[in-house]
Amino acid sequence: MSQAVGRYRLPLRAAFALALIAILSGREALANRLDLIQKRGTLIVGVKSDYPPFGMLDANGRLIGLEPDLAAELARRLGVQLQLVAVSSTNRLQKLQEGAIDVVIATLGDTPQRRQIATLIEPNYYASGAAVVAPPNAHLSTWADLRGKKVCATQGAYFNRSMAQRFLLDLQVFNGTRDTKLALRDGRCVAWLYDDTGIVGILNDPEWASYETPLPSMMVSPWAMAIAASERDSPLERAISDIIADWHRRGWLLEAERHWGIKPSRFLADTRELWSRTQPGGGRVCTRQADGEWPTECRNKLLLTSTEVGGLQHIGLLINERTGINLTILYDAYDRTLFLSGLWMTLQLMAACIVGSLALGCLGALVAENIPWLRGLVRLSIALGRMTPPLLLIYLVFFGVGHLVVTHYGWTFDGSMIAIFCLSLYTGCAIVSALLEACAVLKDQEPGFALGWRNLPSVLRLAYASVIAALVNVVKATGMASAIAVPELISASTAIVAEQGNAVVMMNVLMITYFLLVMVVVQLFNYLERRLQHGAD
Amino acid sequence: MAPIEIVHILIVWTPFLADGFLWNILISLVAMAIGTAFGAVLARLRLSRRKSLTRASLAVTELTRNIPTFVFLFYLAFLTPAEFEVSGQTYHFPAWLKAALALSVAVVGFVSDNLFVALRHWRNDNPLAALLFIPSWTMYLLIIVMASSTASVIGVSEIVSRCNVVIAAVGGEEMMIWVYAYAISYFFGFCFPLNWAMGRVKQHLLARVSAAPTGRPTN
Repeated sequence: MSQAVGRYRLPLRAAFALALIAILSGREALANRLDLIQKRGTLIVGVKSDYPPFGMLDANGRLIGLEPDLAAELARRLGVQLQLVAVSSTNRLQKLQEGAIDVVIATLGDTPQRRQIATLIEPNYYASGAAVVAPPNAHLSTWADLRGKKVCATQGAYFNRSMAQRFLLDLQVFNGTRDTKLALRDGRCVAWLYDDTGIVGILNDPEWASYETPLPSMMVSPWAMAIAASERDSPLERAISDIIADWHRRGWLLEAERHWGIKPSRFLADTRELWSRTQPGGGRVCTRQADGEWPTECRNKLLLTSTEVGGLQHIGLLINERTGINLTILYDAYDRTLFLSGLWMTLQLMAACIVGSLALGCLGALVAENIPWLRGLVRLSIALGRMTPPLLLIYLVFFGVGHLVVTHYGWTFDGSMIAIFCLSLYTGCAIVSALLEACAVLKDQEPGFALGWRNLPSVLRLAYASVIAALVNVVKATGMASAIAVPELISASTAIVAEQGNAVVMMNVLMITYFLLVMVVVQLFNYLERRLQHGAD
Repeated sequence: MAPIEIVHILIVWTPFLADGFLWNILISLVAMAIGTAFGAVLARLRLSRRKSLTRASLAVTELTRNIPTFVFLFYLAFLTPAEFEVSGQTYHFPAWLKAALALSVAVVGFVSDNLFVALRHWRNDNPLAALLFIPSWTMYLLIIVMASSTASVIGVSEIVSRCNVVIAAVGGEEMMIWVYAYAISYFFGFCFPLNWAMGRVKQHLLARVSAAPTGRPTN
């Protein structure tokens, strides 16, 4: 990359062009989904793969569980084939929005925010609440005991935000249940905030038998099947809604629950009673009214009350209504703090990675040039380091090595430290190569050349273009830390999108923020280079 | 866990993981193809006699250099539909293609810069120096292969995603380190020989360039 031409410089025009591209990229929705489903003869349903016994993989890698059973029955009644797709809490509504799946049946709690993002179908088919899993002897008797403590959580859970605000939890949000489990196991948090239905599946695992659920369930929320937001009041919504109503009346859901060995839930019993209740004059209480809606007493009462809105939030919501731009990071204090602390973390990561990469790079070059018997080893390590994908290295160190260290020594490392270490290692290797190449050039020029602390600056100056290219790359790559739940910009943005559904706004904000950060770093390096050249003259 | 057990598990899952690695290579090659096509246009424009074209091309090149591909990956994943309909026909826009597209942005900048230099050498009757583009391009492919592992974060079933599937299926946290290390060996096994060979080609070309009578110094 030593042939890199031109300086890193970005005209204002190009920045505007980026903003324009960002704004123009929109989305198109398909008209009438039910027609599409019937035309293709397949219903595509998103279910969980990591939530036994609601959605899991069997020995052959097939998706099974209570929710896949519901999906199968749904497809049968619609007269089409079924295709199951594994989704996670983070991407289920996203996949729905982008049209990759028709229906989500994936432990989705029914909340007002989610009703903004997707069409949630009533009647609800199940219910769950928030609880915690804690190791034995955690000494938790009330939720207030968790105040200010590090609590692991799984991204996308509907209660994460409210519980964090209510009990002032220091949430460590991970990408999937596997990652969260490992984090709790390795002592990265005192407890895991999770769904009580999910906890049932986990405590069934003999490895987890000693763990407990010391606190009562909070925020009990019904689950809803979801279809795309554009499908509100569509034939698809009506069809699914009628099918679920029929399941409740026949008690089929209770049977399905029993089939999977789940403790009978109060919600299903109550709902069945309500939906099979008859009016004094004959006929059911829960039948569609003239306007096609279910009667109020059969609907989700929690969601019928309007949320109180005032002040800055009111203005924000007004902008949202008029323009469709939902800048929650401006008017919503929680989202704003999340985003700003993400920005701060990203800045720290960038700075630490630059320093770490340079330090490792210089150290490697000094060792290789001055300690002859280590030279071969350094060169081999560099080849290996440069050919290990940094993301894979992060996983290896965080989960693999991190777990070994915890079990043997009881030390836990912060995710951000591990990300900085791995990214610096990868980039450091590139820098060592560049410095050694520069040394070779200098040796050609003056045979007696030997790299030391004194002439390190001149070698750095010679290798400047390659070193800077490597450092700019590591700055761009800091987002990878999001893969191990480091709360940086990408983590913050995706968490906000999962909660608010404002993907277009947040992704553009994220892109532009990152772009500007990279630009500032590049400008800084250009400035430094001018200073360096000036100093050399 | 006994070493023999670990080896056995790795062998059982090898076809699955190897298949995943093929996806990494496919994503990288598609990214290189898209990026090279656009980058070549930019490089050609940079040699144009018209100042406005040169400047525009340079601006676009700099723009692509400043876009972080990892963030762009999320951007495409969130903001582009998986399926779209054009005149009654449904087209798919799979996640792996989104990943390739995100990675291609980095390739555009690289090709624009390096091909620009190569084209200039070519015009100056220095074809050997121009040929240096080939080893550089191949070495950049390796960087993209490395970066293709990030496609796992948007759910592409490539080798890193599949590692997580294997770990989930096998259970046992001890296995984790071995599965990840095994996956790393794929990258190393693919990249090391290619990198070595291209290093040799580059050295050979450089030697020829400096020996050639018409040759000019490359930098």
